Amino acid sequence: MYSFFNMNFIIPDILLLLFPFIVIGSRLFCNYRSQLPWRIANFGFIAIFILLNFIPLASGEGRFFICNWKIDDFGVLMREVLIVSAILGIWLSKDYFEHGADGKPQMHQIAEFIGAIAFATFGGVTVVSACDLLTFFLGLEIATIPMYALTAWNKKDQLGSEAATKYILMGSVATAFELFGFSYLYGFAGSLHFGEIQQAIATGTSPLLWVAVLFLFCGIGFKLTLFPFYTWAPDVYEGAPTPVTAVLSVTSKATAIAFLVVLVFGPLAPVQEQIAPLIALLAGTTLFVGNLGALKQSRLRRFMAYSSIAQAGYIMVALLGPASTAKTAIVYYLFVYAVSNYLAFFIFGIIGHHREETFASLRGLSKQNPSLAVALAISMFSLAGIPPLAGFFGKFHLFFSGASTGHYALVAFAVLNNVLALYYYIQLIKSAWVDEPDGHLSPLRLTRRQRGVIIALSISVVALGFLPFLSNNVFAGFSF
Amino acid sequence: METILFNNIWIIPLITVLACLPISATREKLLRGIHTASATLVLAIVCYLTYRVYALTGEPANELAAPLALRFFTDIPWLSMFNAHYIVGADGLNMLLLALTAFIVWAGVLVSYKIKGNQKVFFALIQLLATSVYGVYMSFDLVLFFVFYEMEALCMYLMIACYGSGKRDYGGKKLTLTLAFGSSMILATLFGLYFEGGVNSWSIMELSKVSLPMEFQMWAFPLMFMGFAVSSSLFPFHFWSPDGHSAAPTAVSMLAAGVMMKMGAYGCLRVAMFLMPEAAKIWLPYVVALLIFNVVLGPFIALRHKDLKYITAYSSISHLGLIFLGLAALTPVGLRGASLQMISHGFLTGLFFATIGMIYERTHTRDITQMGGIMRKMPFLGVGFVLAGFAGLGLPGFSGFIAESTIFIGAFQQDSTLTRVVTILAILSITTTAVYILQTANRMLHGPLPQKYESLTDGCFREKLVIIVLVACLLFIGICPGWIADMLDTSIAPIFEKISAATQPVIGGIGG
Repeated sequence: MYSFFNMNFIIPDILLLLFPFIVIGSRLFCNYRSQLPWRIANFGFIAIFILLNFIPLASGEGRFFICNWKIDDFGVLMREVLIVSAILGIWLSKDYFEHGADGKPQMHQIAEFIGAIAFATFGGVTVVSACDLLTFFLGLEIATIPMYALTAWNKKDQLGSEAATKYILMGSVATAFELFGFSYLYGFAGSLHFGEIQQAIATGTSPLLWVAVLFLFCGIGFKLTLFPFYTWAPDVYEGAPTPVTAVLSVTSKATAIAFLVVLVFGPLAPVQEQIAPLIALLAGTTLFVGNLGALKQSRLRRFMAYSSIAQAGYIMVALLGPASTAKTAIVYYLFVYAVSNYLAFFIFGIIGHHREETFASLRGLSKQNPSLAVALAISMFSLAGIPPLAGFFGKFHLFFSGASTGHYALVAFAVLNNVLALYYYIQLIKSAWVDEPDGHLSPLRLTRRQRGVIIALSISVVALGFLPFLSNNVFAGFSF
Repeated sequence: METILFNNIWIIPLITVLACLPISATREKLLRGIHTASATLVLAIVCYLTYRVYALTGEPANELAAPLALRFFTDIPWLSMFNAHYIVGADGLNMLLLALTAFIVWAGVLVSYKIKGNQKVFFALIQLLATSVYGVYMSFDLVLFFVFYEMEALCMYLMIACYGSGKRDYGGKKLTLTLAFGSSMILATLFGLYFEGGVNSWSIMELSKVSLPMEFQMWAFPLMFMGFAVSSSLFPFHFWSPDGHSAAPTAVSMLAAGVMMKMGAYGCLRVAMFLMPEAAKIWLPYVVALLIFNVVLGPFIALRHKDLKYITAYSSISHLGLIFLGLAALTPVGLRGASLQMISHGFLTGLFFATIGMIYERTHTRDITQMGGIMRKMPFLGVGFVLAGFAGLGLPGFSGFIAESTIFIGAFQQDSTLTRVVTILAILSITTTAVYILQTANRMLHGPLPQKYESLTDGCFREKLVIIVLVACLLFIGICPGWIADMLDTSIAPIFEKISAATQPVIGGIGG
């Protein structure tokens, strides 16, 4: 344990909390074309990302603020995932605001937008750093509430307002569930602190604990879009602006999965074996339902919603493994998932500026914009888990973690489901590659920045998987 | 030095793809030149290395690779997260399969000069497909093996759906999804191999040294064997191949039928049977029963079809059935015959699809009832087609004869009534094969020439070269099979040793 006075480790977190205020404040000095807030945000996130890399990974745990804030290896890597997601999110939102809701640039509004994304990111960081239920709960709320606001960003859009209403109502119910769960857990253990809860559970269980676990899983089921609680996702994904959908599908999902990881391998670790059937059931049904739902979609965002529901199911499979394997697998997969998903959303965003966001608008993409079609194929095949793209190695790792405790049947089910998934991803690739171009659709024009981002993301999707130096240096060789 | 050359076999196609990235898609001539040169270079390397493997036969191999006698052995740690290594090497069997692949890829590049659409993407996909096939035949680490094995799905759909003919989207989806279904069955069992093996290794050599728990083998073997058999179109998973092949462009048909369908049989032999010999002994008799469809009914279905590619696809199904007959025989002769048939059928079906593609390019139809008399206009292509047919029906002198007769001898040696009955049926079904091949050749090549075909021309130099080389390979294997059999025996010996050492435990209820 690091000393109470060694505050170096917390600098990135404090910066992450402070700099959104600077971004929001900078709006006072800019007009509708100004790049200032975007530049500050970019600089801030990248600086924090670089700072994070100085935290030695094999350090074990550092604790601050009377043991309520801890930084361990999983936490550091999750911070990196969240910040990568935030950086990509603000790049995507720059496209959105430059283009504007009605064709006029609205760059001054980006300040609040970025502020909300940064707070959501900070919420995720709080979740992975929390040592007691109160901080934990606060983190989850900080991560969720900005997303409600972001969903309703475009106030003239009816679909967006509907989506936000739905999201807030569902989210509040989920929060209520979680609070119930927490209070039962507190009632069971007599303490808010994770270590003490863990000790209480290790000494014996009671029905009260199972009620608490059930409530907690229900609550997080909403946020992670697990099987019976996923219904809000397609509507919200479709109604929200494109960058919000992308952030929602990566940052929110990462936060929710981090919540589960912290819970399952922290306080609930002594009963991991007993709750494994519950996890397996949720994982199996979620990935099946997600895949089934995606089969018949014709709108891109709804399609991505179901696809990300299925991905949540795949991630759940890894929770069955031993702590270190599962954590490595999940962090690695989240990196891969973030990159592949953002690549898809960048492309959909570009399409959305000029056309309707449906499969039909992709027609003839391979003839009009061959490089965009290649990037789309890379992203879709990666999400489908086809080697040598990163998605395959991510999924392989998840299944590896699930199989290491002998859950072969679930892994086999998940792997077979992948064939189903391949079908609908191919369906999308077909629209872009095989269907003849529509006469009305003129070729898309990409700015240099868009082109650069798409090339960079494509390369990372290809290389993140099989290049060993990444996995050896960043992820392996240390204990969680 | 040779080891470096060997590792370059799968790297060169990738480098070619990267090198072509900056070239504009409109400079088709340059692109074709680069890809032809790269394929020729790989072919030359592979031929040289095959010769080296042959020359080294009998000499002690790398001890790290025991019990297999691998040349050019490389073992580098790769993904330490799950202990995956980069392990490649070659013994007789996979070196010959690599040679086959190099020939077919080379021929595939040459026949695709006139493909319609974006040639840059097409040739890049062919090279990626080649990488995947080379990788499968080289790797001895299960993760590496699977990565290469599954990579084909990425290329196959795009190539069939974008460059194919007929119901290309349907055919492409059917093929890709069925193959993905097969590989998902394999993936599910791979995890079991790793965790049940208890050696924390994905290496085929390491896993072959332990004996896996019987309960695990009993469910894992059929799952894995059928997973591999999907890509070799064993009944009841054969349905993808006729639709897929008929929709695919020529080069893809050649690669799919010529080398990718062998990947399944190779996997059955090298992974499933080698690592789980006890279960293989119990389950393989049931596979023989499935073969009745492949071997006996396949030719009859081919008899009824009018589309040249459907005929060839069903002919492939029956020929691949013979491979499984040799594997299921579980005798050294049977295994040798099966391996020989893998190589022989690769060349044979490559030649078949190449000539069909060339004829289709000219006549724009593959319906044999609408053709006739084209031997007069295209004597060279016609003769090529007839020679492929002769090799297919097992005419002595061609490789098909030697491979099939070895399989039949091997299968008959096995002391089981079912296997013998199926063997006799298979021998009899050669007659059916002869009927459909001769009937097809007759309808297509002879008889009156339709008016619209008056202006057709014979193959150009490039096409003639492909036919000559493939025919020469078929004849070479057929006339002097001895050296190939020697090479194969060195790699079959350890596998057979493992199988014969496996004691068959008594398990109530299943087989026995």
